[in-house]
Amino acid sequence: MTGTLLQGSSLRRLRLVVAIAVVVALVTLPAYGGQYTLTTFIRTFYFGFLALSVGLLLGQGGMISLTQTAFFGISGYVVGLLGAERGFPFPLPELAGLALVAVVALLFALVVMRTHGIVFLMLTLALGQICWSFARQNTSLLHGWAGIPDIQPPSIFGVDLTQNANFYWMSLALFSLGLLFLWRLVQSPFGLALNGIRESPRRMSALGYPVFWLRVAVFVIAAIYAGVGGILAAWSSGIVTPTALQLSRMIWILLIVILGGSQYFWGPVVGAVIAVWLDVIVSQLTPRYNTVIGIVFVVVILLAPNGILGVWERITAKRRALRQVPAAPPDSNQ
Amino acid sequence: MNQHILILVLNGLTQGALFFVLGSGLTLAFGLMRIVNMSHGAFYLLGGYMGLTVLRLTGNWTVALVAAGLSIALLGLLVERGLLARIRAGGDLSQTLLTIALSMIIADMALAVWGGHTQSIRSPAALSGPVTVFGFTYPGFRYVLMAISAAIAFGLWLLLYRTRFGIAVRASVDDRETVSALGVRIDIIYSLMFMLSAFLSGIAGVLGGTYLQLSPGEDTTILTYSLVVVIVGGLGSLMGVVVSSLILGQILSFSLAFAPQMSMFLVFVPMAIVLAVRPEGLFGRRL
Repeated sequence: MTGTLLQGSSLRRLRLVVAIAVVVALVTLPAYGGQYTLTTFIRTFYFGFLALSVGLLLGQGGMISLTQTAFFGISGYVVGLLGAERGFPFPLPELAGLALVAVVALLFALVVMRTHGIVFLMLTLALGQICWSFARQNTSLLHGWAGIPDIQPPSIFGVDLTQNANFYWMSLALFSLGLLFLWRLVQSPFGLALNGIRESPRRMSALGYPVFWLRVAVFVIAAIYAGVGGILAAWSSGIVTPTALQLSRMIWILLIVILGGSQYFWGPVVGAVIAVWLDVIVSQLTPRYNTVIGIVFVVVILLAPNGILGVWERITAKRRALRQVPAAPPDSNQ
Repeated sequence: MNQHILILVLNGLTQGALFFVLGSGLTLAFGLMRIVNMSHGAFYLLGGYMGLTVLRLTGNWTVALVAAGLSIALLGLLVERGLLARIRAGGDLSQTLLTIALSMIIADMALAVWGGHTQSIRSPAALSGPVTVFGFTYPGFRYVLMAISAAIAFGLWLLLYRTRFGIAVRASVDDRETVSALGVRIDIIYSLMFMLSAFLSGIAGVLGGTYLQLSPGEDTTILTYSLVVVIVGGLGSLMGVVVSSLILGQILSFSLAFAPQMSMFLVFVPMAIVLAVRPEGLFGRRL
């Protein structure tokens, strides 16, 4: 008994050490990582926001939404339109972008939250495609396929974000804040109510929870996460095009979340890190990147529906069980 | 001016005819199996490319049409038996996710084989000439497309409402357990329906590839249109697809003429209205 307790605390200590090592490695990355590594990590952060957005809806609320890249694109477009084209100073275009994301998300939510399951998925797909087709076809305001170029990251409190290292630190800090807020949210009564709704909307409704409005609220919050990611992406890449809203991008993000493990808090993060680096490696090896990703997706759905963290949990649980039960004589269970 | 409006109406009918072939397959598979085949658009694109290749080999458009339909039906059988049937216990969402992954793979492989440029299937010489009715001239192939679509609608109605197979399918929609307890092999019905759905998307690919064009990315556009047709009509309803594809065809045709920057956008407006008023679609049942 004491043995397992000791093991439990040593496991916790190990986890703490690993966590501190990861944090230190991430914070000091600009000192030893190349420009390419920094840029790839920045990509991980802004796609990470998008993955958190999808993960919040899927993991906490049990909803597969295919609209999230639209919010990613909307905030990017507003930053481009107001910042790069009209020259408004720093916080205005970004705040306007997030405000528009919130309004559009609210409107969409009022429609989609009347549905569940597959109908919800189809509807969110169609709504996302509306936004995409608008960005693609509208040449007078959004310049169609060409998009809006020349977007510059601003200077905040005298820190010049056009410097890659500064941009990296800012993204890291923002992403950590995003995670912290999400952690608090998931633990809060609101997060617990969401879990309840995922398991049984009818029962939660009978208990007096405003199920519809709770789902609307989580949809808006998730959209803002995607919107923040969109702003980072627009700053980092300097251009926003209809590609930001594309369905293939949306599917890729969904894969990230499922790959990591949608039920787990860290699932979208683990998925984003793996998928962004896989992206870098695979696209150097073969132009058939989408095929590889698609096959990974199929394998994960068929063999590991709970993702990498699900597999990890199964392995550690098995090992723990083996440790706790001393090797029994082979005939004891017959 | 009247002539112009008539052309737009006929364009809308042509588009609607294509929408029907696409939507009917999707909605039939959904009505029975409760999965939305998200690779429907990829099936369409692959069917079109198959038709393109067969046409180059044989020179016969009808052979290309049938070959494309059959090859996609075979693909549908493999997908249903090999993948979807394996995770039926996992629920309809994981099956739907699987078809999303499949669509990525199929679209990417099509890009590898047929290239990234826009291609078009040449319409059969005998059918492609302009046809003049009452002094009004319109491309003959578009009449053919409408006729094929109408024939498919009639055929599906016969199949579902006048055959034993159709009875089994409709009964399975209502109560799977009882039907299979009565000795009907429901897994075979699933496979056949999914094949039929795939067959229709393959045929649609050749029709669309002849009337419009084939290019990478077309798969997601087509998937979106198909979903809108099915959502507006009501999931699982054949009659719903007839009505919604006629309406959406006209909207697309007129918006392409008068508001080309918003044409796709405008197609979604009826969907939003229908969903706000009747979330189950025009002819759908409450899910």
